[in-house]
Amino acid sequence: MANLWQKLTQHDGNGWWNLPHGPSNELNPPYEGPIGGAWFGNLWRTLTHGNVSHAGVGFYWLVGLVLAIITLLEVWLFTVEGLGGWFIPILLFLSVIKFVGVVAYFMHLRFDNLMFTYFFASAMIIGILIFSLLLVIMKYGNQPVLF
Amino acid sequence: MTQAAATEHHEPVENTSTGLNSRKLMMWAFLASDVMFFGVFIATYLVYRGKSLVGPYPSEILDIPLTSVSTFVLLMSSLAMVLALHYVKAGEKNKGTLWILLVVVLGAIFMGFQFYEFREFAHEGLTPRTNIFGTTFFILTGIHGAHVTIGVIWMAFLAYGSHVGSLRSDNSLDLEIAGLYWHFVDIVWIVIFTVIYLISAADGPPAGVGPTIIHG
Repeated sequence: MANLWQKLTQHDGNGWWNLPHGPSNELNPPYEGPIGGAWFGNLWRTLTHGNVSHAGVGFYWLVGLVLAIITLLEVWLFTVEGLGGWFIPILLFLSVIKFVGVVAYFMHLRFDNLMFTYFFASAMIIGILIFSLLLVIMKYGNQPVLF
Repeated sequence: MTQAAATEHHEPVENTSTGLNSRKLMMWAFLASDVMFFGVFIATYLVYRGKSLVGPYPSEILDIPLTSVSTFVLLMSSLAMVLALHYVKAGEKNKGTLWILLVVVLGAIFMGFQFYEFREFAHEGLTPRTNIFGTTFFILTGIHGAHVTIGVIWMAFLAYGSHVGSLRSDNSLDLEIAGLYWHFVDIVWIVIFTVIYLISAADGPPAGVGPTIIHG
């Protein structure tokens, strides 16, 4: 237990999560506990800055845990009655969070060259446009007779 | 590879016109095309959603708890994949091999779930020829299953390569590229799970038509 607390509150250079250093490679502050501003700042930097090296094992476990919790939340929402028109938007929102989580951190887009992000984002935009056009055309065009 | 203009914490700059590794860029280009490929099939499913005139309908046949477990399995395989890459890059051969093997196992379990689901659906009377739901459902999930199968075979080869030492930290790009493919398969399933299973699971027969499956 003491060991866990030590792990949570201390680090040896790069934090308990082994987060990557910031873009300017500044030294980490001496305290990176879970309730510290510095720890939060470092986490925020990792979430928002690309072009730094890949994150560490602890960070990947954290992302995996968040994705698993969101999946459980989705399944729980499925059983909740009375959400009405909010059901689909909430599910789509959670789905987008999972999507971005995997693409940004597991596929390393946040830590990789920004060109890859532009490349994939362009494909997503074109894909969503094709997707939307197909839906609109089929909605307002003549639909075939179905069996 | 090289012009090692890299600092300790940055990826090396490649000696190409873009500065990017060509193989990695090629995989991203493939994934970009696959986005549109799956986008069309998902859109097709949505276009024909709720338009089946005969059953079985989604509300009668989709098993959300079972699919939730298989979704969780695939999600964890993505975590195993990223950890495998981490350890291979770090030169920790045994850990790297183990995590790649776990990806293979979790991928195979997911395939098992899908095979079981398809078999159950066929048993309940839903095949690709039964109705428009069956056609769009089996095409979309079947193509995704084919992607998973290719990924599992690819990962099995990489696990063997890591075991015999041909996959090392200096050529870990092979695993990184395979990992991009594997994670992509995962994100496609994230969308399929939400759109087909969670959102469509309440879709029943059209008004005035009774249920086609009477559960005991």
